[in-house]
Amino acid sequence: MNETNVSYFIGFVLSILVIYWISIAVSVIYRKIRVKQISRIEHTFADVVSRYLYNDPLNPLSISEINETLKSVGIRPHNKNNIQYLISLMIRTQRTILGGNYIKIKKLYTQIPPYNASFSKISSWNWYRRARGIREIYEMNQSQYLDEVVKFRNHRNIFVRREAQIAMVVFLGWESLRFLPYLKRNMTLWQQIKIVEKLYDHYPKPELKFLHRAYKTDKLFGKKLLMRIIRKFQLHSETDFILEHLIHEDYEVRETAIYCLQTFAVSSERMNFIKQIYEKVTDSSQQAQLLNYIFENSDIDLDFYLQQLYGPNEELKLNVAEILWNNGYKEKVQEFYYQQYSKKEELNAQ
Amino acid sequence: MRKVLVIQEDIIILKILERLVITNEFECKAIRSLNALTIEDQQTNFDFIITDILFEGIAPLEFVAQVQEIIPHKNLLVVTNMGQDKIKMEIFALRGITGFYAVPIDLDEIEYIIQAY
Amino acid sequence: MLNDLAKFFSSEYVFIAANYVFFAYGIILMSFYLTGVILASRAIKRNKKKARFLQVNDIVSATDIPSVSVIAPAYNEGLTIIENVKSLLSIQYPYYELILVNDGSKDDSLEKLIKEFKLERKDATFITQPIPTATVNHIYKSTLSKFTHLTVLDKNNGGRADALNAGINFATSELVVCTDADCIIEQDALLKMVRPYLEEYNKEIIACGGGIGIANDSVVRNGVLQELRLPTNLVPMVQVVEYIRAFLLGRMAWSEINGLMLVSGAFGMYPRKRVVEVNGFDAKTVGEDLELCIRLRRLMEEKKIPYKVVYLPETLCWTEGPPDYNILIKQRDRWARGLWETLKIHKKLFLNPKYRYMGILYYPYWLFFEFGAPIIEFFGLICIIAFAFFGMINWSMAILLFTAAYIVGCVFSTAAIFMYVKNFNHYDKPKQIIELLLAAYLEPFLYHPILVYGQMKGYYKKIFGIKSGWGTMTRKGFKVSDT
Repeated sequence: MNETNVSYFIGFVLSILVIYWISIAVSVIYRKIRVKQISRIEHTFADVVSRYLYNDPLNPLSISEINETLKSVGIRPHNKNNIQYLISLMIRTQRTILGGNYIKIKKLYTQIPPYNASFSKISSWNWYRRARGIREIYEMNQSQYLDEVVKFRNHRNIFVRREAQIAMVVFLGWESLRFLPYLKRNMTLWQQIKIVEKLYDHYPKPELKFLHRAYKTDKLFGKKLLMRIIRKFQLHSETDFILEHLIHEDYEVRETAIYCLQTFAVSSERMNFIKQIYEKVTDSSQQAQLLNYIFENSDIDLDFYLQQLYGPNEELKLNVAEILWNNGYKEKVQEFYYQQYSKKEELNAQ
Repeated sequence: MRKVLVIQEDIIILKILERLVITNEFECKAIRSLNALTIEDQQTNFDFIITDILFEGIAPLEFVAQVQEIIPHKNLLVVTNMGQDKIKMEIFALRGITGFYAVPIDLDEIEYIIQAY
Repeated sequence: MLNDLAKFFSSEYVFIAANYVFFAYGIILMSFYLTGVILASRAIKRNKKKARFLQVNDIVSATDIPSVSVIAPAYNEGLTIIENVKSLLSIQYPYYELILVNDGSKDDSLEKLIKEFKLERKDATFITQPIPTATVNHIYKSTLSKFTHLTVLDKNNGGRADALNAGINFATSELVVCTDADCIIEQDALLKMVRPYLEEYNKEIIACGGGIGIANDSVVRNGVLQELRLPTNLVPMVQVVEYIRAFLLGRMAWSEINGLMLVSGAFGMYPRKRVVEVNGFDAKTVGEDLELCIRLRRLMEEKKIPYKVVYLPETLCWTEGPPDYNILIKQRDRWARGLWETLKIHKKLFLNPKYRYMGILYYPYWLFFEFGAPIIEFFGLICIIAFAFFGMINWSMAILLFTAAYIVGCVFSTAAIFMYVKNFNHYDKPKQIIELLLAAYLEPFLYHPILVYGQMKGYYKKIFGIKSGWGTMTRKGFKVSDT
């Protein structure tokens, strides 16, 4: 290493620095222009959609006029970024509306650009483009591509398979439960949430035969998904499936069961069952949640609470004591603590 | 003329609700945040306020309480993306709320309410 | 003694050995930074793409997302407490509660809170305390429906870590966010922070952090950052660059290889269950955030449960940095002591294959390059002075090498600023960016030596057993706008 080499190195690093400066400048200028462009497209689109949905009979808005307006703000086939932004606006709008206007919007989307831009994306090698394409297909209800999309339900990329699974729910509804609880790969919490929500938004009437068949799944994510569906649709007749899983060996499954159970008020018979299995729940924080559920959803069962207070589970005694204390059994709590105190005294004396 | 105030941050929902209101022969003031409210607006007794609850710098419940306090109105409809049952219950606990609609919304329901007024 | 030293520094062998040691150290560090830039840019890009599939609007309307408690300890913050609480309450998340822990304040914080939020005292007899803390005297809840998400715990003073533990004990949510009452959290921060918990499928997320920004001299309205300005003083201005570099390059790069050992105390999200399992924050160390993160990682390693510590590139929390050199030195002195204590507590990790990469790579990195850097720099300076005294330095070569090292440093800072400007719109005015670049280029001369001094001061205190706590961190407060 000599001085010349170090000088060359400095020159090289300086040139990198200059490249960064130029990149920063370009980035700032591009953002400024893009923000303006995006805002113009958004305002124009909002205006067009609102006028289309609530058309003024004196000054009706025609499809050609809409297309012209969009073109004037840069929605042209060669401008892919603008087209992509328009698609995101279209999806955003469609997702906020239900009922008759939803149908109207769907009709509008078949008549304005981008025509079939999404389908070309699903054959891309790039996961990001592919997943985006699938999303656009189901959000814009292009059910003709269902067969193409279903193929990706076990894809190795999580985003591709997630979008494909959601697409199945959107297109197949309750029938998608024939596949979903049996998928090869694990499902994230968000996948479950999204599936349940799409099912609820698009198919609010439960089809129990598909649910019952899906109960056979041994996949943990499948069990969690089914419990979430029972919860979302408030299927009181199906709460036994949730109760069964309160003592499942997997922590997460139990957690989901307790969470889902909390939205139901169960019959006294089922409540007795919960009290019976309460002690079999191995995690004390989950026991605390269950105790809270029992307290909030049934009358004070003194025997049950006293059994817990005098039982071996030290961690939950404070919770049990609180319930008794606040519900007219102060003397029972005092009695218990006096007894504890005298036991300690005896031990100390020994 | 009967008046409606629409407060929605999302420009698309704002414009759609504005058109809905105007088509039903109401006068409409559509704004994206409370900052756009004029003194004159604060003295107008709106027949309906249709508002979101998610705004910068203010908690959803506090926002609704503030709207109830500072803008005279007869009916208050909440249209929001944060439409979980828990939030709905908390909003109704504030009292004086005419309706709560979680996105996705059926605009016909809102139209029906203002038409029936 | 002096003769020995003179003999030592005038030795050719010592000179050559020192040259090689410092040069090798520098090269290894630069390689880490360079790898950091590559990993960070990959992580940011991927994060951006992922975010398209899970937008905040999707999360805000979802029903089964985990509940979150934000825990904010406050000690003698009566001047700004109302504004701070309102700011924290305005965070957008459907299943959210704010637990403000009044850590035995001696001022009128509690009275102000009671008055403003119409707080009512609740019975605290039966609070379950899985983590032992100083006594919690009372719990307060608001009688107003609009503040139903607020809980105030009034406890005896026990320090920040103890106050956080009290909040964690009381929380009933699945996730807890630990912050400070005077931090300004972005409105959608929780919606973004919860993403990794929703998306992970084969690993458990044990901690998630978000970028922290310096907001000195910025304008705050209703507890929300209304106008982000660059600080007018050099010290906080350089910290803006330092934070951007640390969070965007450092943390994101480590996050990419699941090597994060630290989630900042100012803003970190954890699963409550795991924090309780490790007995919460360690109230005995001043580096409680680093210590907790390492302890959580150890727990998972020992239990052999696959886990992840993640970082989000966005700035989600704004805080006020030390406004002058004195306070900066105090802060870095404390951080250095915290680092010392934590590395000592977990010394078992060093090159321990049982802890896999954490033992073999991450811990040694922290030891040699986070803990060791100021020591190396300090001794480097002494060597330069000594070798110069004995006329052993080739000045033209030395100046060239200094220039090279300086420019490489500038490139790293510029790369961080570029990535920040490209991906986020917090600083988008040309004037701001030029100021940031200038601050970055002045940093090695006007800021870094002070930093090293602060860190060495902390080590000195540890070596000689000088007792020192958190030290007072005087804040000027943000500019408040009423309009």
